[in-house]
Amino acid sequence: MADNILEVKHLKKYFKTNRGTLHAVDDVNFSIRKGETLGLVGESGCGKSTIGRLILGLHSATSGEILFNGQDICKADAQQMHDLRRQMQIIFQDPFSSLNPRMSISEIIGEPLIIHKMVSSRAELDKRVLELMDVVGLSQRLENSYPHELDGGRRQRVGIARALSLTPQFIMCDEPVSSLDVSIQAQVLNLLKDLQAEFGLTYLFITHDLSVVKYFSDKIAVMYLGQLVETSASDELFRNTLHPYSQALLSAIPEPRAHHKMQRVKLTGELTSPINPEPGCRFAKRCLYAAPYCTGQDPTLQDFGDNHFCACFRAEELRKEAAGIEE
Amino acid sequence: MENLLEIKNLTVEYHTQGEIVHAVNGLSLNLRQGESLGLVGETGAGKTTTALSILQLVADPPGKIMGGEIFFDGVDLLKTKKSLLRSVRGNKISMIFQDPMTSLNPVYSVGFQIAEVIQLHENCSKEEARRKAEEMLEMVGIPKERYEEYPHQFSGGMKQRVVIAMSVACSPQIILADEPTTALDVTIQAQVLELMNDLKEKLHTSLLLITHDLGVVAQVCDRVAIMYSGEIVEQGTIPEVFDHPAHPYTIGLFGSIPTLSMESTKLTPIEGQMPDPTELPAGCNFSPRCPYARAECHSKKPGVTRIPGEATHELRCFALGWEQPDETLMEVIKRGR
Ligand SMILES: Nc1ncnc2c1ncn2[C@@H]1O[C@H](COP(=O)(O)OP(=O)(O)OP(=O)(O)O)[C@@H](O)[C@H]1O
Ligand SMILES: Nc1ncnc2c1ncn2[C@@H]1O[C@H](COP(=O)(O)OP(=O)(O)O)[C@@H](O)[C@H]1O
Ligand code: SF4
Ligand code: SF4
Ligand SMILES: [Mg+2]
Ligand SMILES: [Mg+2]
Repeated sequence: MADNILEVKHLKKYFKTNRGTLHAVDDVNFSIRKGETLGLVGESGCGKSTIGRLILGLHSATSGEILFNGQDICKADAQQMHDLRRQMQIIFQDPFSSLNPRMSISEIIGEPLIIHKMVSSRAELDKRVLELMDVVGLSQRLENSYPHELDGGRRQRVGIARALSLTPQFIMCDEPVSSLDVSIQAQVLNLLKDLQAEFGLTYLFITHDLSVVKYFSDKIAVMYLGQLVETSASDELFRNTLHPYSQALLSAIPEPRAHHKMQRVKLTGELTSPINPEPGCRFAKRCLYAAPYCTGQDPTLQDFGDNHFCACFRAEELRKEAAGIEE
Repeated sequence: MENLLEIKNLTVEYHTQGEIVHAVNGLSLNLRQGESLGLVGETGAGKTTTALSILQLVADPPGKIMGGEIFFDGVDLLKTKKSLLRSVRGNKISMIFQDPMTSLNPVYSVGFQIAEVIQLHENCSKEEARRKAEEMLEMVGIPKERYEEYPHQFSGGMKQRVVIAMSVACSPQIILADEPTTALDVTIQAQVLELMNDLKEKLHTSLLLITHDLGVVAQVCDRVAIMYSGEIVEQGTIPEVFDHPAHPYTIGLFGSIPTLSMESTKLTPIEGQMPDPTELPAGCNFSPRCPYARAECHSKKPGVTRIPGEATHELRCFALGWEQPDETLMEVIKRGR
């Protein structure tokens, strides 16, 4: 589609380890439209950050395509990558380790402007840095402070200001609020939302927290062991959850309410190893509905209407069953 | 119900490089027989320090318990002999830490480590201890065939379950659990929480569950205490606090968390940050961030009051006593969640 800023096609990333080949990302497909937010959710180690790093060209893909505004990142040379980087920025989980401790706040925010020669004078640089600090709600007096002097929330604001400095179209947020306290999390989430509205940004929002994605995303992709198992518009996914893993994930979230005890979908069995996985549904060992035919070949994303896709051999059948019970 | 543990006016400081960190400031808290109490607060609120104080495990230096009493079974743990304290630790009160490796030894098998605890506390034979340890493993959902495996062969959730097995192995009266699931994935967290709920029902152990996650508390606890800057600012039963939060900080905390049942598209965060624990405000600790603060809030410390009409709901805030109430705040409290 023309208004897709990012299209990921058959993306694979395998790592060689001494125990075998680790399938970190295994045939992943998705797209993000300009100005939208795609929430990529899944549990630790499922491959979310690896997808992010592939998109930013920080890893080279084993195979597949990543089209940014139609241009394949996987085939870009150094100069093209340098130009692409200006359009794509990242905000990391740990605002501490991602900021250079020996640089002042203004130097950190201004550095990309110098690297990409976006300013012509010292005065212009200073002006731009102060503007950016203002945009993210950092007080001017912190200009000469160092990262260790700031609390987590402010450090994350510095990371956001730096990411915004090159006026990118696309920002990848990798667990941007996970290390922050809840009251500070909310401040940063609101800021990211406001910035999106103001600058028309497109976000890939990586998180393990489904409540955060629900609040934040237009579209959601649920990932399990290197593969996408379900993608859909956000409200549709919560209304009509199709994949057994998504259902289990949703039901495991403790709701902060009285009189609302968890009705957990029980998961049994063990996690499948991402090293040399057997073909077949990666979730089968823990799935309540696993059938013999769930192993042997990988399920692929199937269209269930309204742009709702699910990769489960039994999804149709289970959906009918559930509907039957409700009728 | 009888109080099993009574903390009165606990004050703990850390003395570092000429600065004094006021970590816990006159905290009072009761834990009853068989009940589970959630202690909720953000980083630095003083939750861990409170738990460590109960067992006198606060590192000294830099930590100093400046005052207060902690009664357990009628004895003040802060004044008791070292020998008695040792028998309380791990025996009558056990602690679960956020990082399971704090309690596990990487060079011994998980089964052996559980058996060791049992042998120590029950003075039984090796064979007997092994048999019981196998039972404990199965109870926390790990097949006993994995008895001989080492911690590094287990996932984070499994390690935490081993630690839980170790901490209940000596049938303690109280379990202090400090963020036991914070490092775990949600599906694994749900398993561990369920396990803790089961054990609580089976063994009638009292639980002090420390967490920053209000969802976890709602699923596991009977009562909740909200902590801010070393003080309990609000406490009550889960329905009391979750249906009608009344302290401006608690209200702000609930406004900050996106939830699955939430319809709104905008969070209402608390402005500003927690006060520097080396320079606490002269008045209410929340006054610099409180949207309802009045003059007296900035100069005087509010005491604890019971909310009229509620059985156990307590608050550390002036607002309910104001002759001219803050209409907005009263409206927010009345509306509830
Ligand atoms: N450089 C690497 N070499 C080998 N394996 C790697 C490498 N980077 C990642 N992996 C493996 O790839 C898988 C996916 O890792 P990734 O960091 O993408 O997970 P994630 O979904 O971001 O997890 P988390 O939520 O914990 O951040 C994991 O099994 C991880 O151990
Ligand atoms: N060993 C220590 N030395 C100095 N300060 C400490 C130490 N441990 C905790 N503190 C300080 O005491 C306060 C309370 O900390 P803590 O009890 O760990 O809070 P929580 O568990 O609620 O995050 C914080 O300001 C923290 O920085
Ligand atoms: S394909 Fe089979 S094992 Fe996989 S989620 Fe669907 S029912 Fe479960
Ligand atoms: S005492 Fe005053 S400042 Fe403190 S929470 Fe109540 S209204 Fe706010
Ligand atoms: Mg990651
Ligand atoms: Mg702590």
